[in-house]
Amino acid sequence: MTDVLPPQVDHAVAVDLAARAVEARRLVVDMAAGPRGCHLGGSLSVLDILIAALHRASLGDGTEVVLSKGHAAAGLYAALHVSGVLAENPAPLYGQLGHPYTGHPGPKVPGVRFPTGSLGHGVPYAAGWALARRIGGQPGLGIAVAGDGELQEGLVWETCQVAAAQRLGNFVLVVDRNGGQNDGLVADISPLPDLAARFAAFGFDTVEVDGHDLARLTAVFGADRTGAERPLAVIADTVKGKGVPAVEGKAGSHYVTIDAARAAKWKRMIR
Amino acid sequence: MTAATVSALSGRDAYRDELTRLAGTDPMVVCLEADLGGKGHPFQAAHPDRFFNLGIAEGAMIDMATGLASAGYKPFVSTFAPFAALRAAESLKLTLGYLAAGVTVVAPYAGVSGAWFGTTHHCLEDLAVLRSIPGVTIAAPYGEAETRAVVRAAVASGRPHYIRTGRNAVFDSLPTGDGEVGPVTWDHRGEPDATCLVSVGEEGTRLALEARAARPELAHAHLTYLDHAHLELAAAELAQRPGRFTVIEEHRREGGVAEALALLLPGREVTGVNAGHGWPTQGGDHHEVMGQLGLDLPAVLAAATAP
Repeated sequence: MTDVLPPQVDHAVAVDLAARAVEARRLVVDMAAGPRGCHLGGSLSVLDILIAALHRASLGDGTEVVLSKGHAAAGLYAALHVSGVLAENPAPLYGQLGHPYTGHPGPKVPGVRFPTGSLGHGVPYAAGWALARRIGGQPGLGIAVAGDGELQEGLVWETCQVAAAQRLGNFVLVVDRNGGQNDGLVADISPLPDLAARFAAFGFDTVEVDGHDLARLTAVFGADRTGAERPLAVIADTVKGKGVPAVEGKAGSHYVTIDAARAAKWKRMIR
Repeated sequence: MTAATVSALSGRDAYRDELTRLAGTDPMVVCLEADLGGKGHPFQAAHPDRFFNLGIAEGAMIDMATGLASAGYKPFVSTFAPFAALRAAESLKLTLGYLAAGVTVVAPYAGVSGAWFGTTHHCLEDLAVLRSIPGVTIAAPYGEAETRAVVRAAVASGRPHYIRTGRNAVFDSLPTGDGEVGPVTWDHRGEPDATCLVSVGEEGTRLALEARAARPELAHAHLTYLDHAHLELAAAELAQRPGRFTVIEEHRREGGVAEALALLLPGREVTGVNAGHGWPTQGGDHHEVMGQLGLDLPAVLAAATAP
């Protein structure tokens, strides 16, 4: 594994991001309590990754963040809101007629870059963004956030081949490795042993992190990759349903619809 | 009517040359290929910092082009029509369609211009796919001058485009007067009540010209732009003349231009000469493979002069 050399993260920033994560998790639970329910487990597993990546983007260097595992739209909307990109609270509007908060990310929502949900496409989009920054001699990253189940899509690996060949050192592919997918466990359906080695074999720098360690994620995304020639794969180990003890680590958390009373109880447990 | 513009380049070579020229004054034009651009691409020689052969990765190419377009670039991507329109169809839907990304897809080897290379290299379905994606400007130019005009328009528009060409055949474009390509290019007005041939694409237009030479009473209208918005304009213009319309297109009947015009010209007789439902199973040159599908001059004359 090739590690990156991340900068130190300011304590105040880490505290602020942690507060955002708590707020965002409560918003996602609110969406699960709406009339449509939501992809709860994957939205909660990816939240810390998104919040840390959006923090990097907020620094204004031209970094773009694309959630490629689009079924976690509830998590994306919540993360965009707590990060200040999306002004209105999306939770009561999720899935509702007259509002853009569809069950997979719609590009009418501020901060949504690509209509993901058909898996794999957000990865090359982010690579294209990275290529654009490089052509223009500009800083900034193209960050794609994919699921581990999503890696079963050939388009992901097609893009890895291209990104390595084009030496897109400013392209970052984050894998939200929560171990689950729609029909069960990734390990049962299509296992991914030696994942870091796979990316390394493609010519990527790789780093494996705790996907809920905001300080660590923020440091990794904050690294200066201006001169890098190898794309970066960040394998983030996460827990499906993270933050809500009733569903943490449970495959059944993939799509959840709950009532208001249960939502209130779950939200109180989020710390 | 002025003489046809003398051509020296095939459609796909005209595209490469025109884009290379335009990129000389527009630094936002970038050129992407998926390993089918050929060695010695003129864009690569002239603008190596904006030319990218991404390898055999059609879907990634179109999605990456969308990332480039989001950053303000004008990406032109090219691969053979079957791989652009079918293999990467979902990318086209999401990017050129839903996002209205300013990406231009240039697709040579359309129809059966791949000839003896076989069915994998034929594309008789691309218009059906692209016509079903709202907002995409679709063009099938005839000859060098028209191809150059279409490429210029695509660069200027910033809108999603799909440009269909053949392989290496060279044609003399029909005269357009001011060099701009409108909804209908009238080649020949014909007799007032005679069938009007409506030609689509390189070979459809060749066949129409041959049919018109054999039967001068026939009219001939050539359509370059084939998306719904342009076909609405074309239909309004075509409706001004009486009689039957016979559409000639190197494409399946389903999703083709004849089908579209039949809906846009209610109460008018619209027939078609097209690739129907066949699958070529033999080699041969381009025209011979077209013949296996019933796409030849006798078929056009029979359709145009049927009682």
